[in-house]
Amino acid sequence: MPSSRLAETVAAHGDSHPHRIALHYNDEAVSYGRLCDLTRRLRTGLTRLDLPAGSTVCVPAHKTPGTVALLLAVLQEGHTALAPSPDLGSAALDRLAGQARVSHLLTATEDGGITAVPVRPEDGAADGFTTPDPGRTGLLLTTSGSTGTPKIVPIEAAGFDAFADWATEEFGLSDRDTALSYAPLNFDLALLDVWTFLRLGAAVVLVDRQRATDAAHLAGLAARHRVTFVQGVPMMYRLLLEHGDSFGTVRHVVFTGEQMPGELLGRVAPAFPRAAFHNVFGCTETNDSFIHRVDPDLGGPLPIGRPIRGTEALVLDADGVPLASAGTGELLVSTPFQTTGYLRRDLNDAVFTQVGDRIFYRTGDIVTRTAEGLHHLEGRADWHVKVRGVRTNLQEVENVIAAHPDVTEAVVVSLPDPQAGVRLHAQVTSRPGSGLTSLRLRTHLGRHLPRHAIPGSVHLTAVSLPRTSTGKPDRNLIKQNCLKESDA
Amino acid sequence: MSSTDIAGEIRAYVAAEFLAGEDTADLTGDYDLIDSGVIDSLGLVRLLSHVTHVYQLPVDEIEFGPDNFRTVDAIVALVEDHRPAAV
Repeated sequence: MPSSRLAETVAAHGDSHPHRIALHYNDEAVSYGRLCDLTRRLRTGLTRLDLPAGSTVCVPAHKTPGTVALLLAVLQEGHTALAPSPDLGSAALDRLAGQARVSHLLTATEDGGITAVPVRPEDGAADGFTTPDPGRTGLLLTTSGSTGTPKIVPIEAAGFDAFADWATEEFGLSDRDTALSYAPLNFDLALLDVWTFLRLGAAVVLVDRQRATDAAHLAGLAARHRVTFVQGVPMMYRLLLEHGDSFGTVRHVVFTGEQMPGELLGRVAPAFPRAAFHNVFGCTETNDSFIHRVDPDLGGPLPIGRPIRGTEALVLDADGVPLASAGTGELLVSTPFQTTGYLRRDLNDAVFTQVGDRIFYRTGDIVTRTAEGLHHLEGRADWHVKVRGVRTNLQEVENVIAAHPDVTEAVVVSLPDPQAGVRLHAQVTSRPGSGLTSLRLRTHLGRHLPRHAIPGSVHLTAVSLPRTSTGKPDRNLIKQNCLKESDA
Repeated sequence: MSSTDIAGEIRAYVAAEFLAGEDTADLTGDYDLIDSGVIDSLGLVRLLSHVTHVYQLPVDEIEFGPDNFRTVDAIVALVEDHRPAAV
């Protein structure tokens, strides 16, 4: 999406194949012809605003055909769109808009028009922030922002083109494919399952965010629209599988966003009898950087595999020296798709670093590289905590808990403890009717974990864990709730 | 105090101190409190201090190792073995 080139390609599909379906949204099917009509009308609305060439506007990323058309219209007009989460609070939205020097807040109305609210930033709101260059980027995404204000990440037009080329070749995509697009539109996953598919003239099933946790609805969409490509976090697969459906039209299944639990992996394979399975690793700053062809029968945990074509990866040891061969350390990647840097300039020095003739992004992830060159994600660098002086990986503890057959999901957080310094707390959802107790779970943990890594408190519930807008367990919220309880 | 009372008191103490907010219905006398991480090394110190205080045990005579505190039954046995005869 990141460029006017993409918008022109989509417009050309509208001319050559007006009746082909571009978007499915609930009961609505939007053809390329209609998508382009909609885009044209929105362009007319845009020109009435008399924006200076190369302006930046803010388009909250509602997952609707209207928003897709509005983003295309903005690109065709040569402007840049900041596309934050539509769930962002108004204060955070104002802050972001100020930082990106946004002129108007735009939304597509039901009847194909535009609402435009001029943005009046506070003085100095954009101090220290680079002005987006409309010649290089059409789209500004934001990182998820679980800590403070989201960071604005310009997506390079050339980077998107290279990414779409790679994805098309890697998955053998054509205009006959249909993607199930589950992630929010402001998420970098949409660069593949929405924008790459539209560039191809293929179809996209936009999952309505309001119904994103409705298992029957989701499975119905995948079956009814005969989707061929599915990409998402484990929760999406859990939902798709909930009613025992099988999806024989799917050719490619992409796991991404977080580690696939072994128990789920075993159930996914029979539900997609004709699919190839891939574990893909990436982030907003670099887009995808690793891919691994998965054999579900081998079980988990899945490696993230090897750097994708054109990507270079460094694994730094504790002294910051790149490992020459196998070992464990922090992962740095340089992809052909990556951003040139956050708009906020002072963030860049810490995470973007030049090695040789390439700029690398510090992922903050700890990986282990095997002698064969396969990479395994060990967790976030900041997910290693010291419990009684022993370095402990919270994700490893989570994985051991999740491996219990009666556990559906588990989150482990570290909490300050007056005596021990840090103590671990586990929040666990047990399988309904399993009768699992925390003592029985602790016995399981005792068998598989060193003593210090067994959480000091283990809370079992029958309900799902709270989630972030991207469907991952909301670790911060769980942690805050624990802190509140211990304060009370 | 009978050994049933002692067992009840120790079980209640372990549940309140180390398993607050957790379901302890299946905390049996032979449940391994050490391997399951319910009682860690800091917990051992607190437990020792508790039983020596409540049951007036001679601290010097007690072997301070995890095996003496591994289960509620073991703790009860430890208390009974070391209780002053007059109490």
